[in-house]
Amino acid sequence: MSGTRLEFATRHATEFVDITSQIRDEVRRSGLLTGRAHLQSLHTTLGLAVNENEPLLLRDFESLLERLAPTGAGYKHDDFARRFDIALDEPVNGHAHCRQLLLSAFATLLIEEGDLVLGRWQSVFAVELDGPRQREVAIQLEGEFARPTREGAEGLVELELARQLMVDPEAVASPMRRLLDAGGKRLRPRLVQLTSAIGPRNDPLRAAELAAAVELLHNATLIHDDYVDESTHRRGRPTVAAAEGPERAIAVGDFYFAKATRLVAEIGNPGVTSAVAEALEAICASQIDDVALRGTYPGDRDSYLRVIRGKTASLFAAACACGALLSEAATDVVDALRRYGDLLGTAFQMADDVIDFSPSSGKPVGLDIRQRVLSLPLIYAAEDRVVGPEVRRLLAGSLGDSEVGRVTELVTSTDALPRVRKEAQTLIEAAVRELEAVELDGLQPALVGVARSAVDRSS
Amino acid sequence: MTVQALDRELDRLEGLWSDGLSDTYRAYLDSVGQFDAETQPKLALAAALIEVGVRLQGLGGRAAPPTTLLVGDLCLARGSRLLADSAPLAVQVAFARAIESLSSAAAADQPAPAARQLLQASLGAVR
Repeated sequence: MSGTRLEFATRHATEFVDITSQIRDEVRRSGLLTGRAHLQSLHTTLGLAVNENEPLLLRDFESLLERLAPTGAGYKHDDFARRFDIALDEPVNGHAHCRQLLLSAFATLLIEEGDLVLGRWQSVFAVELDGPRQREVAIQLEGEFARPTREGAEGLVELELARQLMVDPEAVASPMRRLLDAGGKRLRPRLVQLTSAIGPRNDPLRAAELAAAVELLHNATLIHDDYVDESTHRRGRPTVAAAEGPERAIAVGDFYFAKATRLVAEIGNPGVTSAVAEALEAICASQIDDVALRGTYPGDRDSYLRVIRGKTASLFAAACACGALLSEAATDVVDALRRYGDLLGTAFQMADDVIDFSPSSGKPVGLDIRQRVLSLPLIYAAEDRVVGPEVRRLLAGSLGDSEVGRVTELVTSTDALPRVRKEAQTLIEAAVRELEAVELDGLQPALVGVARSAVDRSS
Repeated sequence: MTVQALDRELDRLEGLWSDGLSDTYRAYLDSVGQFDAETQPKLALAAALIEVGVRLQGLGGRAAPPTTLLVGDLCLARGSRLLADSAPLAVQVAFARAIESLSSAAAADQPAPAARQLLQASLGAVR
């Protein structure tokens, strides 16, 4: 089921407003393939009708309505002396109410192959009977909806990202384009898109706009992170800070931080705006925590979990909650998806930590150690009775190639990697259980698939 | 965020407060008179956090050292959160556009407009 409101202004006292194309657009946007569109006028002086849009015929209808319920024909409704609780701006409109009785406030239209089933001469009219006014018609669409394919959904996000960068000044767009073109898993936008199909208001274009904004925000934070971590490469290419200097990196990060928050705000859903702002704040606060903890590197498990929940899991959780909020999903569904995102994000980071020790990942082994980035396998190895003392001693000194190589060897000699892998799997199972407790309109398998693939990966 | 983490955040902001944030906040109080009494301090604080944030980052000048940049980022994020929770949509959009304008000028090595002027104008944004 999908629902929306059609809003329009009328210009005349009596007017036949052809709303066929707007309804057709809503049907296309929703992805409804086969089913029904239910229309309901939300006013007592606005009717609905299906007929031919021929100007002289419309004048005939007006004349007919005038003959059947003439204006100013002494309606009791217009005798304000006999009525109670009359608004100051109460119109004299008994004729308009009577005319609406001759029409209908409802219409049901059939949908086949994603389009309205209308005869050659049929159009759908909202019939203004007491204008000019601002009017609303409620639309509910029910039936079989197209499930966006993964490729189609990803294509929409890529198009939206390209569209956004196209209008930005080249000084900021160019470095961001290079970063986006270099790849990335696009997990956060995928989560936005999937969860935005759960509630009654499923709008793939708005979901793609939100998904692109979330991806821009994520990349903006990466640009600043790379400067802070003194990273020279990301996704196999020089970082913005390394290629263009820290000043440019700060400016580009700030630009897309601001632009992403603006795009989210412009979507006009306060719940979504707050969820993204909250996540952004958690990311920034945790980044400070992360850097502060490097003094006691490799730290402990509690500190690690606190940092990664803020740095990584918060945006996963926000992405899931935002999509659901956008689609007007029930509160229990939004909350369950937020928890699913939090668990998934935490497990995703743990899987990333394990991959740092894998020679087949395509990245240099031990990059996290070299950059003193928090890593759960490293924490477990440092706590190991046998190799722990040597790991801690090596990490306390300067970390050249041989030290990084030796630490990697020591970590892989313990049970740290399987232990972290198992912990990530346990979190994914908990995330899946969150999905089982709520109604997800058939999207549970896709979300389970995303969760499992986030930890079953080699890069 | 845990209570302990929140405490740490508040400590950080307290340091900033005595280090210029309070003066900046007071400077914005004159620009928020059109909002209701409860919202006025929140919006003035949001504007002050953003101004102090971009200053700490060194936006448009010499890049701040990493740890200072992170505090600047946190100021921007906290300002943005206050706006999301309290400001009309037009003001949220105007603030974002102000930061876009400052940062795109900085990225292009062009002279940037004064942050305070831009942010004060943003507080007056209407639909």
